[in-house]
Amino acid sequence: MMRQIIEYALLFLVLVLLQVFLFSNLELSVYLNPLVYIAFIILLPIEAAPVVVLGLGLLTGMVMDVAMGAAGLNTLATLPVAFLRGPLLRLTCSKDSVSDGGVPSVHRLGVLGFVRYVVAAVVLHSLVYFTMECATFDYFHLTLLRTLVSGVVTVAVIYFTSKIFNSQVARVL
Amino acid sequence: MLKLVEFIKKVYLPLLFVVLEIVAIHYYAHSNSYAEARLLATSNSLVGGVYGSISGVGEYFGLRKRNRVLLEEMAELQNELTRYRETAVYDELDSLGAEIETQYSYMTARVVRNTVSRQHNFLTLNKGLRDGVVTDMAVITPDGAMVGYVVSCSERYAVAISILNTAFNASGKLAGDGHSGSIYWEGFDSHRVKMHELSKYAPVEVGDTIVSTGYSHFFPEDITIGYVERMEVDEPTSSFKLELRLAADMTRLHDVLLIKNIDIYELNALEAEADSLFRY
Repeated sequence: MMRQIIEYALLFLVLVLLQVFLFSNLELSVYLNPLVYIAFIILLPIEAAPVVVLGLGLLTGMVMDVAMGAAGLNTLATLPVAFLRGPLLRLTCSKDSVSDGGVPSVHRLGVLGFVRYVVAAVVLHSLVYFTMECATFDYFHLTLLRTLVSGVVTVAVIYFTSKIFNSQVARVL
Repeated sequence: MLKLVEFIKKVYLPLLFVVLEIVAIHYYAHSNSYAEARLLATSNSLVGGVYGSISGVGEYFGLRKRNRVLLEEMAELQNELTRYRETAVYDELDSLGAEIETQYSYMTARVVRNTVSRQHNFLTLNKGLRDGVVTDMAVITPDGAMVGYVVSCSERYAVAISILNTAFNASGKLAGDGHSGSIYWEGFDSHRVKMHELSKYAPVEVGDTIVSTGYSHFFPEDITIGYVERMEVDEPTSSFKLELRLAADMTRLHDVLLIKNIDIYELNALEAEADSLFRY
């Protein structure tokens, strides 16, 4: 239990640093703004209590808000993902694999199930984030494009993060 | 009673989510560029050093080009200086004893962080209160193109709102002509801004230069904003809608000039006084 908390604390730290110093610093295009920190909520153990997930969602959002200087934007995008994580998991993956619990991974949920789950969470997060950032529906097609381009990169990064995180978990155990 | 407890157990989580989400949306909706810049200034005091070294590495690779640009600029300034020296001699003979007063003072700074991929973009500069940076100072590129203005300062860093911020507002005019309009960014193209409310009688053509008006107290007059790339007449308001290519390459900013309007407090105080006289 203690070990798992330390592992997740490390994951949190790495993701925040990656986001702030690498991905938010790339500044390649308005369309490429990968919000990889959402991986922390996605990779929390399946059996984690919903209220804990929601609390950690609040924490993640607030930390990113302060680090990125976006008042409330990260929080209001992360909270829905944290709240809807359970239903998303049940929708995208088979009942058996979800009821087993554990860290969400390709190994536990199957490649298709895991990717579907990550895509659903990332799209929800990015769509809320970019729509609220724009604060208008006037350019919604461009917002969708931002979600698509940034989302593809985010999903890829999260896929590899989960591989590394799980192999790390496997080695330590 | 038991039913009530059951009920609360069932709904407390969605309720908690809704409450938190509303608070977050409320906070976001009521924040403005100044609040965001303040937040950035706070986090910069913690991690500003890291941004400085990251941008330092990137800067190294652009040194050759920047060197050339600097040399070109130096030559140009030298030319200008000789011209001034000549006229200064005559002026001195004309007005002995009169002190020379300028409205603007200049300062250089390095950009340690610059975002272009958001809707609300800001620049972080490596000079702050202790270097004499204050809010409302204009930020321009060394070759005189509009970049933004300072909105928040900490001891060692300053945060400026970028022209690529949907909350950025400036007025622009046709170079060499009085017709003016307002400049704003639509939020997606980091090389282009829009200008609207330009009178349809303005003699504008594709390729024309748009410069600052000097109506706002942030920017001196005639700072280059951009070049007209496309134009159309907006019939309902009978004005031009222009698309401008920015003169400043916002994706490649290293050194910038800060301009302080020495008269800004006097101007603001005077305008506030005039305003209060006519408030019924």
